[in-house]
Amino acid sequence: MLMMPVLDLQFGERIVTLMAALVLVLQIAMVAQRWIVIHIRIFAAQSFFLAMIAATIAWYNHAPHIYIAAGLTLVVKVILVPILFERLVKKMEIQEEIEPIVNGPLSILIAGGLTLVGYVVAESFYRPDEAGLGHNALAVAISLFLIGFFTMINRRKALTQVLALLSLENGLFLAAISLTYGMPLIVELGVFFDVLVAAMVLGILVYRIRESFASMDVSRLRRLRG
Amino acid sequence: MLLLALLLIPAATAVASYFARRRTAMEAVNLAGFGAVFVAALALGARVLAEGTVSLWNGFFYADALSALVILLTTSVALVCSTYSIGYLRDDQQSGALGEDASGREQMSQLRMYYTLTPLFVFSMLFMAVANNLGVMWAAMEATTLASVFLVTFYGKVNSLEAAWKYAIIGGVGLSMALFGTLVAYYAGHSLSGSEALSGLNWSVLAQHAAQLDKTSMRLAFVLILMGYGTKAGLAPMHTWKPDAYSQAPVPTAALLSSAMLNCALYGLIRFYILTSRCLGAEFPSHLLLLFGLLSMGVSVPFVLVQTHYRRLLAYHTIDHAGIMTTALGLGGALGSLGLMLHMTFHTIAKSLLFLCAGNVYQHFRTNQFADIKGGVMRVMPLTGVVFLMAMLAIIGMPPFSLFQSEFLILRAAFDGGHLLTGVLFVLFGTGVFAGALLHVGGMILGPRGDAPAVARRPWRDGSLLALATALVVIGFWVPGPLLELIRGAARVVSGQ
Repeated sequence: MLMMPVLDLQFGERIVTLMAALVLVLQIAMVAQRWIVIHIRIFAAQSFFLAMIAATIAWYNHAPHIYIAAGLTLVVKVILVPILFERLVKKMEIQEEIEPIVNGPLSILIAGGLTLVGYVVAESFYRPDEAGLGHNALAVAISLFLIGFFTMINRRKALTQVLALLSLENGLFLAAISLTYGMPLIVELGVFFDVLVAAMVLGILVYRIRESFASMDVSRLRRLRG
Repeated sequence: MLLLALLLIPAATAVASYFARRRTAMEAVNLAGFGAVFVAALALGARVLAEGTVSLWNGFFYADALSALVILLTTSVALVCSTYSIGYLRDDQQSGALGEDASGREQMSQLRMYYTLTPLFVFSMLFMAVANNLGVMWAAMEATTLASVFLVTFYGKVNSLEAAWKYAIIGGVGLSMALFGTLVAYYAGHSLSGSEALSGLNWSVLAQHAAQLDKTSMRLAFVLILMGYGTKAGLAPMHTWKPDAYSQAPVPTAALLSSAMLNCALYGLIRFYILTSRCLGAEFPSHLLLLFGLLSMGVSVPFVLVQTHYRRLLAYHTIDHAGIMTTALGLGGALGSLGLMLHMTFHTIAKSLLFLCAGNVYQHFRTNQFADIKGGVMRVMPLTGVVFLMAMLAIIGMPPFSLFQSEFLILRAAFDGGHLLTGVLFVLFGTGVFAGALLHVGGMILGPRGDAPAVARRPWRDGSLLALATALVVIGFWVPGPLLELIRGAARVVSGQ
């Protein structure tokens, strides 16, 4: 009895939906989060569930190349990038809280609204004749993308903007595996390489901004105009 | 092999520069590398003219006339800039602009960074132009940003950090939209290509089956791509990073950003335009392109008129020209496409020349403000003054210079195609930019001599200036046959005829 459900497509669909929901919840938690270290850990947890979704879809569709994407997510986004950023936070000795422009409860409401938009947009891609996993996941993916945008606008701290950009990229990854079961492997590799390098480049930039401005508040970057 | 050489040479140049010990060695390596890659680009142009398309590794790399033209333009600018930067960086080192330190170690590491990242930057641009797979093309485009971020922060000043931050973040958001667009395009073709997943994102495959692509998805894909690659091209309203990055980066880097990288971003847009217009008809993409193109032209006018900083003036000029080229793409057809390709060629020469002139002026006067120079550039530094004025006249579309021809062609495409409003706005915005640019730059170059010191000899910088200026003048009267053939070929790729 315990072994049976593992082969059942509907059961797989449920697992994917459940984990996609968790990913979405974590994204919304990020919107309201005030402490930067916790923000980084939420990002790591979100990426972990993303990797699990990828692995589940790979298992049910017998698509081995998605396992590679899942493994890369695990290595790059769950381990390397969070370690890199936590070190950065330690090195910069950041204690201050993240101050969003729109306050916590309101930003959660906005995130909820954006999720609704995500579901509406995903409807247009739904094809009932095409059996497959992860159509809920697409709605979540688009929501992640939109909420990521909102978080970028809503944050003043350089590092949180970078995290928002990365969570936005998580949305893209989810969209890729739920729409087309991943991109061709070579593209996947290129994207992961870019994400890793971007995280490093932006990390260095954040560090240097912090040194020069004695703050990572990007709203102070206002010298260049016109 | 040729395509591979185009990528391997700049990559090897970067590695060699990184391990070079002396400044002269880095300079020599860069010069030799960019010289070699320019020769390879010429060879590629010749082969494309002879054979139509060149591909390698089962179509992983692919080049037609459009890619060959973009590659040729990129490598020629890169070669001129690498010559120029020898003189430019030596001057910076002597005048202490790189920061003072007794041992010179910090200066060396700064120079090493410049001479390593520039070939990498060129490498990623060339990679973008030869990649057939749209996803790989995206990854290369993202790599251009990553390679150039630390070129923008080269001087390590507070302002350059701000500029680099804007550049990286706005570019990153834009490119994430482009990745989404690429993904949706893959989805649009996924159902038809089925199992051949590896070539499912290859442009040449998608272009063949463009009519069968899913129409709703392609519509969404094009919008996302336009926003994404449009951000990299600096179309309004995603243009805000441009004046900052161009004015803070070292001048040779700014020249590369404003000509070669602009071409690459437009190249990505053009590839998707071809797919979309074959799938949905030209009307849908053309309306969007005209909207963004005209908006960019319009937005740049007030900023050009009130500008006090000459490198920012040039940046707004580039936004204007990105708008012109996008408008030309939107007009489409044989005439619009030819106008676009000619304009891309002419703009590349004129704009990089302008930046190099601005670099000469900056290094002599050490100020970016028109007000502090108070005229007289022509008398202090005659060569730079004459060339600067000439390039400025060229870029605002004065006859007999070449950009007059391409802009006239685009205008004709507008009126022939019945886009009356587009044509009128095109002329209107063009006039605004014309007036603003002439006013400012004319005032800076002409007029009585101020109290600036006399200019020293600067063979590297003036040599590269002269080379580009000669190209600009000659091409106004006579475009070499093979180049014209390549431009026509590229225009045929765009218009699909």
